Amino acid sequence: MTTQDMTQAAALPARRRSGRMRALLPYLLSLPALVVTIGILIPFGTAVYYSLQRYNLAFPFTRGFIGLDNYAQFVTDPAFWNTVQISLLYTVVTVGVELALGLSMALLLQHRTPVNNLLSVLLILPLMTAPAIAALMWKLMTNPNFGVFSYLVGLAGFTEFRWASSPSTALFTVVLVDVWVYTPFMMILLLAGLRSLPRQPFEAAELDGVPASFVFFRITLPMLTPYIITASLFRMLDAIQQFDIIYAMTQGGPGDRLMVFQVQAYLEAFTFTNIGRSAAFLMVLWAITFILSNLFIKQWLKLRERTHRAA
Amino acid sequence: MQHTSWHWRLFKGICLALISLFFLFPILWVLLMSFQTNEDILRVPPSPFFTPTLDNYRALIAGELTGAGSTLKIAYMKNIWNSFVLSACSVLLSLLLGVPAAYAFARYRFRLGENIAFTLLSFRFAPPLLVLLPLLLYFQDLGLYDTYFGLIWVYQLITLPLILWIVRGYFEDVSPDIEHAYRIDGHSWLRSFLKIAVPLARPGIAAAALLAFIFAWNNFVFALILGSSDVQPVTVGALAFITASGIQYGQIAAGLVLSVIPTFVLALVMQRYLVEGLSLGAVKG
Amino acid sequence: MYEKAKDLAAAYVSRRISRRAFIDRMTKLGIAAAAANLMVNRLSSQALAAGHDWQKHKGRTVKLLLNKHPYTDAMIANLDNFKAMTGMDVKYDVFPEDVYFDKVTATLSSRASQYDAFMTGAYQTWQYGPAGWLVDMNEYLTQAAPNYNWNDVLPNLRRSTAWSGVPGAALGGDGAKQWALPWGFELNSVSYNKRIFDKLGMAPPENLPDMKEKAAHIAREADGMYGIGVRGSRSWATIHPGYLSGFTNYGARDFEMADGKLNAAMNSPAGKEFTGLWVEMIKQSGPRNWSTYTWYEVGNDLGAGASGMIFDADILGYFMNGNTKEAGNIAYAAFAAKPGASEPTPNVWIWSLAMNAFSEQKEAAWYWMQWATGTEHGMFGARQMDFVNPVRQSVWDDEGFRDRIAKTYPGYLEQYEASAPGSKIYFTPQPLFFNLTTEWAASLQKMVADEVPVDEGLDQLAESVNRQLASVGLR
Repeated sequence: MTTQDMTQAAALPARRRSGRMRALLPYLLSLPALVVTIGILIPFGTAVYYSLQRYNLAFPFTRGFIGLDNYAQFVTDPAFWNTVQISLLYTVVTVGVELALGLSMALLLQHRTPVNNLLSVLLILPLMTAPAIAALMWKLMTNPNFGVFSYLVGLAGFTEFRWASSPSTALFTVVLVDVWVYTPFMMILLLAGLRSLPRQPFEAAELDGVPASFVFFRITLPMLTPYIITASLFRMLDAIQQFDIIYAMTQGGPGDRLMVFQVQAYLEAFTFTNIGRSAAFLMVLWAITFILSNLFIKQWLKLRERTHRAA
Repeated sequence: MQHTSWHWRLFKGICLALISLFFLFPILWVLLMSFQTNEDILRVPPSPFFTPTLDNYRALIAGELTGAGSTLKIAYMKNIWNSFVLSACSVLLSLLLGVPAAYAFARYRFRLGENIAFTLLSFRFAPPLLVLLPLLLYFQDLGLYDTYFGLIWVYQLITLPLILWIVRGYFEDVSPDIEHAYRIDGHSWLRSFLKIAVPLARPGIAAAALLAFIFAWNNFVFALILGSSDVQPVTVGALAFITASGIQYGQIAAGLVLSVIPTFVLALVMQRYLVEGLSLGAVKG
Repeated sequence: MYEKAKDLAAAYVSRRISRRAFIDRMTKLGIAAAAANLMVNRLSSQALAAGHDWQKHKGRTVKLLLNKHPYTDAMIANLDNFKAMTGMDVKYDVFPEDVYFDKVTATLSSRASQYDAFMTGAYQTWQYGPAGWLVDMNEYLTQAAPNYNWNDVLPNLRRSTAWSGVPGAALGGDGAKQWALPWGFELNSVSYNKRIFDKLGMAPPENLPDMKEKAAHIAREADGMYGIGVRGSRSWATIHPGYLSGFTNYGARDFEMADGKLNAAMNSPAGKEFTGLWVEMIKQSGPRNWSTYTWYEVGNDLGAGASGMIFDADILGYFMNGNTKEAGNIAYAAFAAKPGASEPTPNVWIWSLAMNAFSEQKEAAWYWMQWATGTEHGMFGARQMDFVNPVRQSVWDDEGFRDRIAKTYPGYLEQYEASAPGSKIYFTPQPLFFNLTTEWAASLQKMVADEVPVDEGLDQLAESVNRQLASVGLR
C-alpha cells in the first residue's frame, strides 16, 4: 500500500461531507502549531537585521548598517574557520559514537524482559541530568586531585591524563560527556522503533534459518532507518549547537581548541557586547544547520515512502 | 531470533554490564556525593567510604544553606516547582498543538504540507542565542518577561518540533485501515481520531512527551535570560551553590538528585508505554 | 539598666569608647554580645538618619539585581534597618555568580526599567558606561546625607570606579564620571598553607623567582600536593588577579598611549620576562587542570590542602580559612613579584553598586545605594558578616573589625596594610577590555601547552589587539 493509497483510504468517508471541509482539515490541524510558534520569526528577523549592522553595545555611536561586512570578515578570519571545523568535527564524532552505541544498546535491550525494561529506564537517567549541571559534576569527577575518574585512570597507569585541561584530550573529554548525556536519547528512540517493527519478516527469516547478520543488515537496519534518521537529526541539531557542556567544562579552551559556534557567539554577545558579530556568527550556524537538516529530511521522506511500499 | 547460544548470551550480558557501568556509575557517584560534606568530597584521593550526612538535603529542603561563614537563603524547592510547571505546561501545550498536526502530516498530502512541517521543525535549528536578545526586547514590551506564560511559549521551540516529528513517524506506522473501518461504521472524524488513531499511537506520543519533558526540564539559557528568580528552574537554581566563598559540591549533588527524581518517576510510570510499545506491534504483526 | 546599656551603645557608635571596652561593659551589665550588636545597629541607623530626610521616598519599592555573594548576604541581613529608617521597601533578584554578568548585560541591553540598581565590577562599567546604561553618580554624591562622608572611601577605589569614557584616559582623571560606588573589594596577594610551609621550613615567597622555586619545592617535597594555584581558564578572570599584579610589578603595561591613540604593549621586554617566568612556574608546579582552573578551583584546592599557596584575591584565602579541611592553617603575605621592587602592586577587583540609567525612581535608588555604601552598613557587615574587604578607611580603623580579623585570620591585617597603598586597577580603561583579556587568557593557555613560545605568543597577542582596536577606531 503506498502512502497515496492510505491517504485516500483515510479520506474516503470524508467524501460524504463537503469537499471544502475535507480540503481544509489538514490545515485546521496543523496551523495552530504554526501560529503559536510563528511569533518566533519576528525575533529571528530582528537578529538577521542585527547581523547586517556594526553593532557593539559599548560603542553606541558607531552603530550602523554595513551590509554583509560582518560576514565578509569571516572569510579571512582563521578563528572563524577554526570554529567551523571544530563544530563539524564535534558533531560528526558525537552523533557517530552515539548512534553506534545507542543502536547497540537498543539491540541488546530489544527483547521485552523485565530486566531489559528496567534497564532501559535506568539508562536514560543521564539524559535527565541537565547538561549544565552534569558538566559541573564531570568537571569535578575529572579533577586531578579530587576526581574519581582521574583516580581510576591514575590507577591504570595514566597519571598524567589531563582530561579537558590538555589540548590533546579536551575534545575527547567533552565528547565523552556528550555521549554520556545523549546516547540514551538515541537508545530510547531506536528501541521504540525496533520494538514497533512488524514481526512477520523476522519470523519468516527465522523459519528459513537466515543468518543473524543477514537479518540485521537486510531487514532490521533498512526498516529502522527512518528512526535512525529522526534520532540522528535531533542529535545533530543539538550537537552542532552544543553550548552547555563545553562552556561549563572549558569555556572553549584550552587555547581555541573547543571554540564551537555557540560558545564563540555567546562570548561575542554577552561578554564582548558585539551583537552584530554574534548574530552573524549564529546566522552562519543557522545556515549550516538548515542545509544539513534539509538533506536529512529529504532522505527521511524518501525512505518513509520506500518502507511503506515494502510493508 | 531466540536460537541464541550460551556464549552469545554471555557476550551480550557482559556488554550490557559494561554499558550500564558507564552510564550509571557517574549517577551512583553523584548520589554518594549528595550524602557527603564538602570536606569529604574534596579528599585526595577520592574515596567511597564516608560518614553519610543528610545535611545537604536538609539545607535544600529547608531553604537555608550554611556556607563558609555565612547563611544563604535558597529557594531550590521553588526552583523544582518552577521546572515542573514550565515543563509540564509546555509539553501539554505541545501535545495539544503537535499531535493533530502530526496526524495531518502523516495522513494527508496537502499543498504546503511539507513546507509547514519543515518550518515547524526549523524552529529547532534556530540557535537559541540568535533569538534570545531580540526576544528579550519583545518580552519586555509585551509584558511577558518573567512570566510562566512567556517561558512556556518560548519552550515550544524545544518541545513542539520533537513531539511533532516523533509522533508523525508513529502515525505513519499505524495502518489507517482500522480508522477507516471505524468511520465506515458511521463515526465522525473527530471520534475516530480520538478513539482509534491517538490510542494506537500512544507509545509514540508517550515517548515523545517524556523526551520533550526532559529537554524542557534541562533548558538553561531561556529561563536565565527571560525570567527573574520568581520563575527560575532548577538548572539555574543549582548554580546558586557556586558561591564566591566556594562551590558547595555536596549541595549540587543533592540538588541534581532531587531534580532528577520527578522526571525519573515520570519515566517509571510511563515505562509501560515507553518500552513496551505493545499495541503497535500487535496491530501490525 | 536598659538606659545604661543604651548610653554605652551610643558612646560606642560615636566612637567615644573602643569595641573591647564596649563589649566588656555590656557583659558586666549582663547583655550578650549578640544583643549588644543589635542595639548598636539600631542606634547606628538613628545616627545615620540625623540631618537628612530619609523618609522622603516612603512607600516606594526599589528593585535590585544582585550577585550571590557574601556582600549580598550581609546587605540582606541588615536590610530591615534600611526599611525601618526610610519606610521604603526593597525587592531583589539574586543570580548565581557564574551567570550574573550575562544576566546584567542582557537586562541592561533591553533598556528595561525593572531594576533600579545593581552590582557590578569596575571593568564592566567600561562597557556599560559608554553604552549609556549607567548614571554618573557625581550628581548624587553632592546631595548625600551629611554623615555619608564619601571621602572616607579609599581614594584608589574611588578613582578606579571613575572614568571619563575616553579610551586610555586615566581612571579618576579629568572629566571622570563616577560610574559606580565601591562596595567591597579584593586585592591580590599570597595566601599559603602555613602548616606545609612550616613543615618544609619555608617563609612565604619574596618575589616571583622565589615563588617559582618554593612552588617547585612544595611539589617535590609535600606528598601529592602541588606548588601554586593561579587561575587559568579561558576567561578575562584569569588575567586580572595574580597575573596582572605581577605583570605590573615587573614594570609592564597593557597599553601605551601614543598621540592620543592606544598601542598594545603587553609584548614589552618586561612583559615577556614576567610572562616567561609565570608560564614556566605553572608548567613546573601549577595544577594539572590549570587551563580549566577558575576562582573556585583556586580556592577549593587551597582549602582542601591540595595546593601549597595561591596568588589570587586576599579574600579568597580569607574564605578558605573557615569550613574547609585546612581551616586555621591559611596564612597571608603581601607579594611584590619583581625582585627588589619597592612595594606590591596588586590589581584589584571592586564589587560596586551602579544605578540603571533607565530606572524610573533614581532618587529612591540612590537612597538605597547611599545606605548600602555608607559607614553604618559597612561597619555592620565587617564586624558581623563577611563584608570584606571594606572600602572605607573608618571601617579599617574600627577596633571591633580589627579584633575579629586579627583573632580569626592571623596575618591578614598585616598583609592588607602592606598591599593597600599600591592597590588599584592597573588596566588601561577601554571598552574592548573583555576581548583583550579573554584573548590574553587563551594565549597563556597556548604558551603553557607549548603550542607557542612565550615571546611569539605575546607578539601575536599585541598584533591582534592592535587590529581589533583599529577596527573600532581606537587606533
